[in-house]
Amino acid sequence: MDTDEVEFLGEKQNITVVPTFNSTVVHLISGDVGPFRAGLPTNVPLWMGVQLKQRRQCKIQPPDWMDVDRLTEIRENEKQSQTFSRMPSDHYMVEAKILLDCASDDIPRADEIRTIIKDIWDIRMSKIRTSVNKLIKNADSYAGLDNLTVMEINSIRPILPHALDQIYRIKASKRLKATSQNSTTFHTSTRPSTSFAS
Amino acid sequence: MDETAIEELDLSDAESFEEVQLTAAQVIEMMEEAWVNEKFAPEILPHKMEVVDCLLGQIAYMEENLQSLACTDFRKSVHQLEVDRLRFLVSSYLRTRLEKIETYVTHILKQEQLRHENKEDLYLSKQESKFAKEVAEAMKQNFDGLVSFYPGLPMEEWMSQPVQPNMHSFVFLKSKKDVNEVVIDDGTGATAGESDLVDFREGSQILMAYSSVAGLLKKGDVKLI
Repeated sequence: MDTDEVEFLGEKQNITVVPTFNSTVVHLISGDVGPFRAGLPTNVPLWMGVQLKQRRQCKIQPPDWMDVDRLTEIRENEKQSQTFSRMPSDHYMVEAKILLDCASDDIPRADEIRTIIKDIWDIRMSKIRTSVNKLIKNADSYAGLDNLTVMEINSIRPILPHALDQIYRIKASKRLKATSQNSTTFHTSTRPSTSFAS
Repeated sequence: MDETAIEELDLSDAESFEEVQLTAAQVIEMMEEAWVNEKFAPEILPHKMEVVDCLLGQIAYMEENLQSLACTDFRKSVHQLEVDRLRFLVSSYLRTRLEKIETYVTHILKQEQLRHENKEDLYLSKQESKFAKEVAEAMKQNFDGLVSFYPGLPMEEWMSQPVQPNMHSFVFLKSKKDVNEVVIDDGTGATAGESDLVDFREGSQILMAYSSVAGLLKKGDVKLI
């Protein structure tokens, strides 16, 4: 999947904005938003918040986890823990990237936040690489991935599933060899490796 | 405009799902799930045309309403953006399916034939199966034309090894409810009795071979991510 497509999925997350205009309720297909009163915080989907922000029709309130103290704590947790800790949002990377890109003036200490989130991402990525390494060495056919976010999963695709496919094939061909000693061809067990997971 | 939009919405849902009442938001969620599932599943999945039709109805209705809205209205651009997003979702879903049909056309048609004979639900929608048959026909003509240039070649050879989806490819999935004793397909060909089993908890995320979870996916107990 493209990172853009992961972003697309993340953009329906709700955020709080403070509009600078008045309007009645807007009936979107995905649900109603509003009413908008200048100065009163309202929940809108992220994609709509970004659009309003670009037209300077609102200020964005950063989600409560997007705060230096909170994020530092998360980073320390992530460093201490052997496993992946639960992230405050399933799309933390998407939200952080979009909000820091378009509304860094609404977020206090945006640069520090950017650095810490990048740190958290790096720590988690290095954990992912270590566990992928272990997984491939053990030639396992199963792995639990609790608390990994979609963006992180997407970053090890397609390489990890493809590697496991190949291991699967090796195992399957070993089995075929064992059952039919005289057969020298093993193309029967291999399937064309067409795949849509790009 | 807005009031009628809501009424219409309930109506159209009631029509396409008969007994189940769904809000438009739920329909969108189903569409997103179907889109991601279709993207990552190696084989073609049962079609979700009722969801597609319902969503297209919503989009058409909204577009009609947009005509009457003044260009200066800020709501117009918001609605327009939402319509564009949903349009992308639907078309990407349909395109993924068409790509699969083009790639695995022989295999898919054979499977559909079997399902038809066993009176099971078909995986392709009417238009899709028409498309599949046209692709198959065009492919046959093309190959026959090619083979006739090289008289020495065996005529029907190309049909004996059609492209098949790799059902064992590894997928990431998320369990939507607790599922007990899923057999791990590890390629060693162990029978059900001796294979390793695993229990899914609701919300847990797993990486494993598609063949182990294909049934659960079609039942809607798990979704791909």
